[in-house]
Amino acid sequence: MTQQGQALKSGNILGAIAALTVLLFGGWSGAVIGWLLGTAAGLMACQGKKVATPKLGIRLGSKAGIALGVWVLVASLIQGVVLLPATGQSSLGLISALILGGIGWVVAILAGWLTGALQGLGPNRQRATAALLALTLIAFPLVDRLAETDWTATVIQILIFALLALGLNIVVGYAGLLDLGYAAFFAIGAYTTGFLSSPQINLEWNFWLVIWIAAGVAALAGVVLGAPTLRLRGDYLAIVTLGFGEIVPVVFRNLTDIRLYEPISQIIASLLGRPEWVICLLGCDRPFNLTGGEAGINPIGRPALPFIGTFQAGQYLPWYYLILCLVVFSAWIISRLRDSRLGRAWTAIREDELAASAMGINLVQTKLLAFAMGATFSGFAGAFYGAYISAIFPSVFDFSVSVIILCMVILGGLGNIIGVLLGCVIIMAADRLYLPQLAQVLKALLNNTVLPNISSPVLRDFLATSVDPLQMRLFLFGLTLVVMMIVRPEGLVPDSQRQAELYESEDESLAEARSQ
Amino acid sequence: MPLLEIHRLTKRFGGLVAVKQVDFTLEKGWIASLIGPNGAGKTTFFNMITGLYPPTSGRVVLENRDITGAPPHQLTALGIARTFQNIRLFGNMTALENILVGRHSRLQTGLIGTLLRFPAVQQEERQAKQQALHLLEFVGLGSRTAQELAKNLSYGDQRRLEIARALASEPKLLLLDEPTAGMNPNETAALTRFIQRIRAELQLTILLIEHDMKVVMGISDFVGVMEYGSKIAEGTPAAVQADSRVIEAYLGKEAP
Repeated sequence: MTQQGQALKSGNILGAIAALTVLLFGGWSGAVIGWLLGTAAGLMACQGKKVATPKLGIRLGSKAGIALGVWVLVASLIQGVVLLPATGQSSLGLISALILGGIGWVVAILAGWLTGALQGLGPNRQRATAALLALTLIAFPLVDRLAETDWTATVIQILIFALLALGLNIVVGYAGLLDLGYAAFFAIGAYTTGFLSSPQINLEWNFWLVIWIAAGVAALAGVVLGAPTLRLRGDYLAIVTLGFGEIVPVVFRNLTDIRLYEPISQIIASLLGRPEWVICLLGCDRPFNLTGGEAGINPIGRPALPFIGTFQAGQYLPWYYLILCLVVFSAWIISRLRDSRLGRAWTAIREDELAASAMGINLVQTKLLAFAMGATFSGFAGAFYGAYISAIFPSVFDFSVSVIILCMVILGGLGNIIGVLLGCVIIMAADRLYLPQLAQVLKALLNNTVLPNISSPVLRDFLATSVDPLQMRLFLFGLTLVVMMIVRPEGLVPDSQRQAELYESEDESLAEARSQ
Repeated sequence: MPLLEIHRLTKRFGGLVAVKQVDFTLEKGWIASLIGPNGAGKTTFFNMITGLYPPTSGRVVLENRDITGAPPHQLTALGIARTFQNIRLFGNMTALENILVGRHSRLQTGLIGTLLRFPAVQQEERQAKQQALHLLEFVGLGSRTAQELAKNLSYGDQRRLEIARALASEPKLLLLDEPTAGMNPNETAALTRFIQRIRAELQLTILLIEHDMKVVMGISDFVGVMEYGSKIAEGTPAAVQADSRVIEAYLGKEAP
């Protein structure tokens, strides 16, 4: 494909997403999504090709931006003039819709232009792109607030899962150990935070200390789980980790009635000088409730910083920047791990365990380290989650969480940090942002336009109750995965090694077919 | 002092005795060969020396140190490296990365070093890459193959890369399991010369399993013959060739 063609294609693919966004959200969302996806389009347009000069980059980037902008403009017009009245709101008017869409268009072109220009910078390209992305991420919540799109809360959720997906990628993507119970480590991180900074056992330690302890405890749990699974591979390993993932929430659900034999607790308590929580932990006169059972632990202490004070529930900015720092920090650490002696050892184990051990790799140590490192990042995620929601329940950490995280890793591209992050953004944004909004818009559309015109009461009832994308959530999710596995099994941004693995047999059969 | 001494080594798989009370001594600087019909237990013998199978009984002594039953990664650190009969490269890693994995036991960097990337760590990594490129050159692959995925290399090049990977761990003892399997006469001759060069330039001791008699008789200082798990003969190539039991094992009994 020519470079121009690629630019156009990127603009159109992202344009379709942008158009959907504008149709669903309306208002200033066109400008915000034009800005975000315009940057992405600029990157995509110049990806994989050598962009020799900023000039060529500008041409490609702005071309992608223009294509993207057209989608935004058309969608703005449709949304403002057709969709709004159809859903029972007042029409925006042609002029206002045109202005809104036009602004989105211009923003998209500018974003594509700027990104493209940076891609042509030669040796400084990577640094410039990183700076641009950093600026975009830092500016996002401010722009979001200005444009009143209210996406920051969802983006925080996305980033929590990004942290989890990055951690799981170490275990599954790098070391090739299929872990189906990854949510257990998330739970362990969150509950550790719950124990150490809530009134549950009267420990209210500082969040900035607790988050490290939570990561450490999760890492330890990774080793504890990893140790018995060391001799297992493939399906067997998956089943054991699945079991662990099921057990951990059950344990937290049931640790509500701890009571030790009376004399023993008396002796231990007296030895320890009878601090209150020790006595109660050992069940002095009443059973001790450690985890709160189904009701969970509530409230959990929030982090505080000088000047900002304690982070508040409705104020997203400090939370957003905190989780953003955590994700960037983790991605940085993981990229270092990957290009190191340790990362090579992980890949070697994934490729051929026996040969790896014969080359001097200590299998026990290296696998346990993969489990521990993977769990560490979910420990961070758990600690943040506990403090952010300020309450944790065992039901949050069930099997579906493990599966969703695994899907993010596979959808984006096993073993590739960028791919994993992308997979996470796509799944979470679709699930938490687009689907609820789509449900809302569809409902309004049905109530105002379609239903009044249907005479048959049976059909009307059926439509009113059954057209709900939220109910089809899992179906859509499964459908996406099936389609992905057929169209692009290596994931959206695959790791070069993984891609090679998947197409290995295909190449051979192709070659065979040709030789015949 | 011999480099490797093996005393009455035995491996039993259930009812099958794959290796039966084999004694073997390897002097420093030798190229020794292990021959025998298919299924004689040669590869099992190799697997016990390199720690992939724990022996049922018997002892393996490397430079006066009992290494019986030690795990493979420790043996690599002590200076034993091997190649495999059916090539076992890390197919989806580049040639360079394969060699770097081979060097694993000689690199120090731990978790903390990886994360903080001290100057010493960067230095080590640079040196390792240099040495890996040097090794590629040494086995005759050249730097052009460095970034090639291992599985995309030709068969002969894969054999060479596997040897390079084994050499990367700076072994004292190199075990080659049928290095010339599947090669044409030209490639075999080249590889034979190459094995001699390895010994000459790197002062290694080499033990190989080989079926090609021309190779065995041409380069070996010492030959051991196995049949049905037992050692039936050993000595210089000439002596082994004249041994009646060896002839019997290979050609069958003479008609009375």
